Amino acid sequence: MTQPSKGHSSPTTDAKAAGGNGGANRRQFLKAAGAAAISTPLIITSSALGSADRPAASDRIVMGGIGIGNMGRGDQGAFLGRNDVQYVAVSDVREGRREESKTRIDGRYQNKDCQTYNDFRELLARPDIDAVHVATPDHWHALIVIAACRNGKDVYCQKPETLTLREGPMMIAAARRYGRVVSGGSQRVLGDYRSTVDPVWAGELGTLRSINVNVGPLPQLCNLPEEEMVEKIDWNMWLGPAPWGPYNSKRCSGSYSINGASWRSFFDYSGGGMTDWGAHHFGGATFICDVRGLQPISVDYNDTAEGKWLEYHYPNGVTITHNKPHTGNMQVTGTPGEKIAPKPVPMYKGWGGIYGDFIECVKTRETPFRDIERAVNTCVVCHLGNIAYRLRRSLKWDAVAQQFIGDDEANRMVDRGRREPWQL
Amino acid sequence: MLDQAFEPLKKYDYGTPISELQGIEDAVVAAHDDAALRQDLEQHLIASLESDISRDAKDYVCRKLAQVGSPAAVPTLSKLVSTENAHLARHALERIPGPEAAAVLTTAAVELTGKLKIGAIASVGARGEASGVATLAGLLKDGDPAVARSAAMSLGLIGGVEAAAALQPALQAGSGDKSLVIDALLECAESLLRSGQTAEAKAIYASLAGDQQPRLVRLAATRGLLACGAQAEA
Repeated sequence: MTQPSKGHSSPTTDAKAAGGNGGANRRQFLKAAGAAAISTPLIITSSALGSADRPAASDRIVMGGIGIGNMGRGDQGAFLGRNDVQYVAVSDVREGRREESKTRIDGRYQNKDCQTYNDFRELLARPDIDAVHVATPDHWHALIVIAACRNGKDVYCQKPETLTLREGPMMIAAARRYGRVVSGGSQRVLGDYRSTVDPVWAGELGTLRSINVNVGPLPQLCNLPEEEMVEKIDWNMWLGPAPWGPYNSKRCSGSYSINGASWRSFFDYSGGGMTDWGAHHFGGATFICDVRGLQPISVDYNDTAEGKWLEYHYPNGVTITHNKPHTGNMQVTGTPGEKIAPKPVPMYKGWGGIYGDFIECVKTRETPFRDIERAVNTCVVCHLGNIAYRLRRSLKWDAVAQQFIGDDEANRMVDRGRREPWQL
Repeated sequence: MLDQAFEPLKKYDYGTPISELQGIEDAVVAAHDDAALRQDLEQHLIASLESDISRDAKDYVCRKLAQVGSPAAVPTLSKLVSTENAHLARHALERIPGPEAAAVLTTAAVELTGKLKIGAIASVGARGEASGVATLAGLLKDGDPAVARSAAMSLGLIGGVEAAAALQPALQAGSGDKSLVIDALLECAESLLRSGQTAEAKAIYASLAGDQQPRLVRLAATRGLLACGAQAEA
C-alpha cells in the first residue's frame, strides 16, 4: 500500500478545510503580493505577468486532476495545453501514474511545482485550486464531485457521471448549493451526432417521434480471484466505497473493454456498456430529441423472439428505444411531410471543445453545455434501462420523487450501500 | 427447485463462474409476483447466511436479501454488521423496510467502533431514518472527529426540523472543522424548503449568512434566503 506522496494537510472526511472557501486563494495571494511590492522589492517573473497569448497568473484557472488513467490523461492533456490554465496537482492511487503525471506537468511548465497526492481529499483541501477534473472509475464520481463542491471547486467530471440513480440529485444539489460550475464529460454528445442533430433542430424531419440507441452490454458481478499485485496501488483506496474484493488486474484495469477485462465491465464500479457508451449515445439521443432537461416517465421491457429491448417514454411524447430489433443506432422517426420551426443548435462556449466550454464557464459562471443536471438526466436513462433488464419487467418512474412507482424491488436499486467509512 | 439453485453457493468463492448462481438470479426475478416463492427464497438465503459458506458467498447472499429481504432476515443480517461482511449486510439492512432493520443499524451506530461504527451511522442516514436523530445527535459529540462528521452527514441526509435542531448546537461547540455540520444544516434547510417549511429554512440560512462564516457558506446561505423569498412570493 502506498502512502501520500506529499502532505499539505491532514485529510478530513470531506477535506473542506475552512480555507477552501473562506481563506486566501491564489488570486488573493497574488494581489497581496502585489501590494507588498510597493514597499518591498519583489521579483515578478514574466510568466506571472503574462503575455499576449498567456494571461497573467492571477487570471489563470488553477487546476488539479483526480484519477489519471486513460481518460484522465486525455483530459489532463487538454487542460495542460491551455494558456489560461495553471495545472498544479494530481491525485491517483497508483504511484506510477502520479509520478508520470508530475513529469509531464513539470515538463510543460519547466519547473518542479506539481504536487502529487494518493488521497484526493488532500488535493481538494488546497485553497489555491479553483477547479478539478475527475476521471476515476465511476464508483468514485459522486463522492469526489460532492466533496469538491463542498470545497468550493468547479468540476469537470468524466462520464458516466453517476453509478446510481440516487447519486445524481445529490451531485446536482451540491453544485447548486455552493454555486459551482460542474460539467459532465461526454464530448460526443455535441461532437458525434451533428449529422442527425442539425436536420432535426432545423425542423426538417417534423415533430420527432422516436430515436433508437444500440449500446451494451449490462454490467456483470465481478468475482475474479486474487492476483499478485505487480504495481504500486493503494488497493483499499481504489475500492473506496465499493464492496471489498481481492486485487485482480482486470478488476481495476482502465482499458476500454466492457466484456470482463476492465472495471467498466463490472457492476460494483460501472453500469457496463449501458452507461459507459450509453452516456454518449443516450446523451446524443436526448440532445437530438431536445429532452436533455427531462427524465423518462416509464420504460417498457420487451422480451421477443428477436431479442430483449426497451422503450423509454418521455412526458412530452418522445420515445427513445434501446436495441430495438432491425433499427440502427441513432435512427430517428420524424413526422413525414411535416416541417416545423427551426431552433438554434446550442454550442460550446469559449474555444477548445468541451474542455474550453468548461473553462469559459468557470470564468463567466455561465452554465456549461454538459451541465451536471443534463449529464445526470442522461445517466438516469442508462440506469433505468439496467434495472429494467435486471428485473425483466417494465417500470414507471417518478422523476420528481426520484422513485419507481409501485415497485418496491426496483426502489431498492435506486442506490447502494457504501463501504465504510465512505458516505455521500 | 430452489435447493438445486442454492447448491453451487456452498462452494462459491472468488474465481467461481458467476453463471453458476443463475438459478438464484432467476428465482429473485420470478419472486416478484409469487409471494410463496419469495418467502421460500428468503428462507433459503437466510439459511445460507447461517451456514459455513465463503465471505464472497455471504456477500452475494446479502446482495440478494437487499432485493427481496423482509424483517425476517434482519436477525441473521444483524450478526454480520461487525464482521468482514458488514458492508453488504448494511446494504441489505438499509433496504429492508420496517423498524427492525432501523433498530439494528442504530444500535450498531452506538455500540460498534472505528470504521464499522461510521458505516452504521452512514446507513442510518442513507435510510433517512428519522427515528435515529436522537442517537445521531449524541454521536455529534463523539470524541472521534470522524464519527462526529459522519453523524453530521447522516443528519443532513435525514433532514427536517429535528435534525436541524440537533445540528445547531454542534455549530457553536468546540473549535474543530465545522464544514460538514454546515453542509448538513444547508441540506436540512433545502429539505425544509422542499416541504414548504419556509420559515424554518429561512432561520437556518440566516444563521449561516453572517460575516463569521467562510465566503462560500455565506453565498450558499444567501442563495437559500433568496429561494425562501421566491417561495414565499409564489
